[in-house]
Amino acid sequence: MLISYNWLKKFVNLSDSITVEEVAARLKATTVEVEGTKKQGELLNNVVVGKVISAVKHPNADKLKLCRVDVGNEELQIVCGGSNVSEGMLAAIGKIGAKVQWHGEGELIELAPTKIRGEESFGMICASDEIGLREMFPAKGEKEILDLSNLADKKNIVGVPLAEVLGLNDTILEIDNKSLSNRPDLWGHYGMAREVAVLFNRDLKKYETAKIKPGKDFKLKVEIEDFKLCPRYMAVAVSGIKVGPSPKWLQEKLLAVGSNPINNIVDITNYIMLELGQPLHAFDAAKVGNKIGVRLAKAGEKFVALDEQEYILSGSDLMIVSDNKLLGIAGVKGGLESGTYVDTTTVIFESANFSAAGVRKTSTRLGLRTDSAMRYEKNLDPNLCEVALQRAVELALEFCPEAKAVSKVVDEKKFYLATGPIELPSDIFAKKLGVDIPQKDILNILSRLGFEVKPKKNSFLITIPTWRATKDIAIAEDIVEEVARFYGYENIPAVLPSFPINPPEANELRNLERNIGETLVKNLGYNEVYNYSFVSDIQVGKMGDDLKKYLELDNPLSKERPFLRRNLLPNLLENVENNIENYPEVKIFEIGKVFSTKQSGLRLDSNGDSLLPKQDTWLAAMYAGKKDSTPFWQARRALENIFAELKTEFQILPADLVQPWEHPTRLALVACGGETLGVICEINPLVAQNLGIEQRVGVLQLNLSLLIQVLSKQKDKTNYKPASIYPAVTRDLAFLVKKEVTHQQILKVLNKSSDLLKDVELFDVYEGNKIGDGYKSMAYRLTYAHSDRTMTADEIDNAVKKAGGLVKKEFDVEIR
Amino acid sequence: MQSKFEQLKTEALLAIKSVSDKIQLEDLENKLLGRKSGELTNLMKGLKDLTDDARKVIGVVANEVKKDIEMAFANKKNELLNLDWAAAVEKERVDITQPTLPHSERGTFHPNTIIQKDLEDFFTSMGFVVLDGPELESDFFNFTAVNVPENHPARDMQDTFYIKNHPGMVMRTHTSSMQVRSMLKQGAPLRAIVPGKCYRNEATDPRHEHTFYQLEGFVIDEHITFAHMKGVLEAVAKHLYGADTQVRLRPKYYPFVEPGVNGEVTCFICKGKGCRVCKNTGWLEIFGAGMIHPNVLKEGKVDAGRYQGFAFGLGLTRLAMLKYGIEDIRHLESGDLKFLKQF
Repeated sequence: MLISYNWLKKFVNLSDSITVEEVAARLKATTVEVEGTKKQGELLNNVVVGKVISAVKHPNADKLKLCRVDVGNEELQIVCGGSNVSEGMLAAIGKIGAKVQWHGEGELIELAPTKIRGEESFGMICASDEIGLREMFPAKGEKEILDLSNLADKKNIVGVPLAEVLGLNDTILEIDNKSLSNRPDLWGHYGMAREVAVLFNRDLKKYETAKIKPGKDFKLKVEIEDFKLCPRYMAVAVSGIKVGPSPKWLQEKLLAVGSNPINNIVDITNYIMLELGQPLHAFDAAKVGNKIGVRLAKAGEKFVALDEQEYILSGSDLMIVSDNKLLGIAGVKGGLESGTYVDTTTVIFESANFSAAGVRKTSTRLGLRTDSAMRYEKNLDPNLCEVALQRAVELALEFCPEAKAVSKVVDEKKFYLATGPIELPSDIFAKKLGVDIPQKDILNILSRLGFEVKPKKNSFLITIPTWRATKDIAIAEDIVEEVARFYGYENIPAVLPSFPINPPEANELRNLERNIGETLVKNLGYNEVYNYSFVSDIQVGKMGDDLKKYLELDNPLSKERPFLRRNLLPNLLENVENNIENYPEVKIFEIGKVFSTKQSGLRLDSNGDSLLPKQDTWLAAMYAGKKDSTPFWQARRALENIFAELKTEFQILPADLVQPWEHPTRLALVACGGETLGVICEINPLVAQNLGIEQRVGVLQLNLSLLIQVLSKQKDKTNYKPASIYPAVTRDLAFLVKKEVTHQQILKVLNKSSDLLKDVELFDVYEGNKIGDGYKSMAYRLTYAHSDRTMTADEIDNAVKKAGGLVKKEFDVEIR
Repeated sequence: MQSKFEQLKTEALLAIKSVSDKIQLEDLENKLLGRKSGELTNLMKGLKDLTDDARKVIGVVANEVKKDIEMAFANKKNELLNLDWAAAVEKERVDITQPTLPHSERGTFHPNTIIQKDLEDFFTSMGFVVLDGPELESDFFNFTAVNVPENHPARDMQDTFYIKNHPGMVMRTHTSSMQVRSMLKQGAPLRAIVPGKCYRNEATDPRHEHTFYQLEGFVIDEHITFAHMKGVLEAVAKHLYGADTQVRLRPKYYPFVEPGVNGEVTCFICKGKGCRVCKNTGWLEIFGAGMIHPNVLKEGKVDAGRYQGFAFGLGLTRLAMLKYGIEDIRHLESGDLKFLKQF
C-alpha cells in the first residue's frame, strides 16, 4: 500500500523539523514494514509537457517514428519508439539534460543530442517508468509512452515542467501489505496518521463530516438475508449528479498513491477508501431501482463485473442484488451494468460491512484480489460505514452543485463488537515484558491510541476502540503488545533466563544420524546430499514401482513431481546420473524421511483417533564408479563401517522378496538385534540403464527410526580380555571351492576345528581364468594361541591339518 | 721392540689419514688390527716372548699404540660418515609442497547440516532438547493449533501443499507445527528446538524454494518474559556472528505469538555499514519470534495463567546461504557434487 506523506499531514501536524525518513523509520520500528520512501518527481528535471505536432515513420526503421514536438518555446525533432505516439498527443518530453532510467531500473542516463538510425534526436518522449512515474501511470504495454492528453487541467500546459503540472511535491511511503494483515485500521491514511500521531506525540485531527440531510423522493429499501455475512449495509440516493472529471486536488491525491482517476463519483469512493479504509460503491440509481438486497448467489449464476469479465458464481458468494438482477459481488467488485457513467444523474452510495471470511473466500476463488476485498478480509469496523457515507455525500454535494440526498439514509445493521472493557492486572506489563514501564507512559500510549483506560487499585479497566475491536485486539496480551511497541522494543533489556541445570534428554535419532554421517564422510569419503521429498510418476515408473503405493500432493507446483517419496532411491539415482560424467566415482548419501501409506502412531489432532502416515527416517548411501563392476561390496563396506562405529553386530540375511529395482543375486537384507532394518544391493542394471546410468550402482539402505529402537536394547559389543603373553601363530589356508559355497559356511566349519584357533580372517577371494569355471579360491588366515603357554609346532600343525580336513570333508574342496 | 711399535703407529696413523673411503678403511683396519694376522696383532703376539720386566714396559707402550690406532680408526670412520651424509642429504630432499599420495579421502556434509549441527550443539549447551517431528503434518497441528484457524488470512502467507484424498493433511509449512505436539507430550516447563525440513507451495527461483529448513525454538516456564526472549536471541546472534553483533526487534504479525517480532542482526559482512548482502541497510533479517499466544498454550494443555513463554524460528537455509555466500538457493537441493564438495 502506498501512503502519501502530504495526505498524512492533513491529519497530524508534523513540523518541518520532522523528516519523512524519520516517520518511515519510526513506523518501521513500531508498526509496519515500510519498504521505502519515494520523493515524487525525482526524475523530472528537464521533463516538460510537450505536444506532438507530427509523427511520421522513421525513414530507416519500421518501429521508430520521427516526431516534431512543441515544448513551448521551441520545436524539437525526436525519434520515438513508443507504440502509442500519435499526432496531437500531450506527452512527457525529456529534454537534453534530463536524466532518465531505462525500464525504471539501474543507472540514470543523461540525455544528449544523438542520431538514431541516421536521424537527429533532441530528447526523448518518455514512458512512465523511465521518469519514475510507474506507480502513478502504470503502462499497459512495454513500449507505451506516457499519454497526458487526459489530464484534468490541460490548458496552457505545453512547455510547463511536468512536476508542476502534476503537483508533485509529495513523498510516498511504500508499505508492505503483508505487514498490515492484522491491522484493518491501517488500510487508510487516517489510521496510519493515528499511529504517527502517537509516535511523535502529536494530536490527531478529528475526522469531521456533516450529517446527511435526507430526502423523501426516493424510497430506498435494503434487505439483508444474513447479517452474519453482512453485519451492516448503509445506503443513500443522491440526485443531481453530473458525472465528469474530479477536481485537480483529488486527482493528484489519487495519482500520488497509484490510483487512476476515473470520474468524480468513482473517484470519491476510491478517495474515501484510501483515506478511511472503508470501501464504498456507487450504483447508478436508474439501473438499480429502489430495492437493494444482499443475498447468496445461486450456484452457477453468471455475473459480468466492471472489468467486463464474466464470473460464474458459487452458492457461497455474497451478492448485491436488485430484485433478481445482480448488481455486484459484495465487497469484491461492482457490476458493469450498474456502474456510474457519464449519463448517470442519480447515484446510490453503498457503505457496507461484509464478513471477512466470506469476502476472502469469494475473492480468492474468483482471483479478484481487489483493493476492496483486501480491506474487508481484515475485518473492518462496521462503525466506519457511517462516517464514510457522510463524507461521500459531502464530496458529491461539493463537486455537483445541484446534488442532494433524495432518500433517507438506510442503515440495516446487526453487529456486536467486543470492546470490553477488559480488566488487566497492573503488573501484567512487567510480568510479560520483564521491564517496569511507568504507569503514566502506559496510560499515555493507550489513550492516544484510542483506548479508554480506567486505572483501579491493582488493575486497569480498558475499553478497546471500535476500529481495533474487530479481531486485532481481544486479549490482555494484545494490549501488552500495544504498550511494548510504543515503549520501544529497543528499550526492553536483553536478559538470559535462569533455569535448573537439568541436562536435556538426548535425541537418539539425531545422534545416530550424526554418527552415521561422520562415518560415511570421514571414514569413507561420501558426500551428503539433500533432495526434494517429491518424485515424479516417470521416476516411479522407471523404478518399476507401483504409483498406487504413493501419497500424492493435491496441488503440486508442477505436475512434474507430485508424489511423496517412499524411499530415497529415485532422487539419489538422479544425482548419480547427473554427476557420474564429472567424477570417476560418485559416493553420496542422504538421510531423510520417507512417506508410507501405512499409519503411524502420531495423531492427527489432540483428541481424535486418526493417525498420520508413517514417516520413518532412512539412510541411503549410494556408490557408482566408472571402474567398479561390483559396487555391492562398496555398499557392504559402508554397512560394515557404520556398524563398527556403532560397536554393534549386524546380520546378513537372504532377501525373500526382490523389488523391481534390485539386482536379484546381489541383494541382501540387513538385520540387527533380530529386526530386519535395511538392504544392501546393487541396482538392477536394466533399471539403472533405463534411468540413464551405464555404471553399476551399489546401495545401502537403513531404517534409522527402527535402528535406534534396536540400539537402545543393545549393549556395547566390546568384550575385553587381557592379551596372552604367549606368542600367537598365524597360518594361511586356501580352498578351491564351488562358487555356491559361502564364506559363512566355511567359517562355521573352521571355527569348530580347534580350541586354539582364536581368529579367522578371509583375506583373498579369486575367481577367474586361472581356476576352473564355477569355482573360486578363498584364502584364510588362521590365528592360533594358547592363553597359558607357548604352543608346540606339532600342536599347531595338527590344528591346521584338522581345520583343512574338516573343510575338505564338508565341501568338495581342494586345499591349495 | 718398542721402536717397532712406535714405527707401526706412525705408519698406521699416516695410512689412516690418507684413506678416502669406507672400504679402504675396512681393509686397512683388517690389515692392522685383524684378529688373525693384523700387523699390530702379530706384534702384540710377540709380547709374550719378552721378559716380565720388559713386557711390563713395552706392554704399556703397546696398549697406548693400540688405543691410538683404534681411536684414529674411529675418528676416520666418523669423518667418512659425515662426508657421506653431507653428500646424501641433497639427494634425500623431498618436495615439501607435494600432498601425500594417494590422496586421503574425506567426504563432505551438506552446508545445512553444518549449520544445523552447530546450532543444535549451541542450544543443547543451554539445556534445550532437540526434537523432531513429522513433515507430513495434520492441518490441525500445522495451523489450527497454532492459532491459524481455517479461512485465516495467515494461511495465505504460507502457500501450502495439501495431500490428495487426505483432506486434513499438509506438508508442514513451518517447524512451529511441533509447538503444540511437544507441549502435549512433555508439558511445561519446556525448552526445545526443532530443526527440520519445511515446505511451501512456492515457485522456485534463485531466492525461493518450495523446500527449505527451519529451526524452531521455544521456552515455556513460569516468569518467562519478552526480555528473556531478547536475551536468548542475542545469545544466538552473538554465537553466530561474534560478540559485537547487535539484535534489533521490530513488530511483526504471526498468529501464534503476541507480541510478535522479526529479528534482525547487524550485517556480519559489512559490520552494519551497509553492503549488497544487507541491501545497504546494515541489518540482516534472520528470525521471527514472539511471546507464545495464550491460545497456543491452551491447545498444548499448558496452564496459560501459570506459564508463559517465547518461541522463535530461524531460517537454516537462509543462514547457510549467508554464511557461505551461496547465490542461488536451488543449489542446496541440486545434488550437484561440484557444489557439495566445497563444504
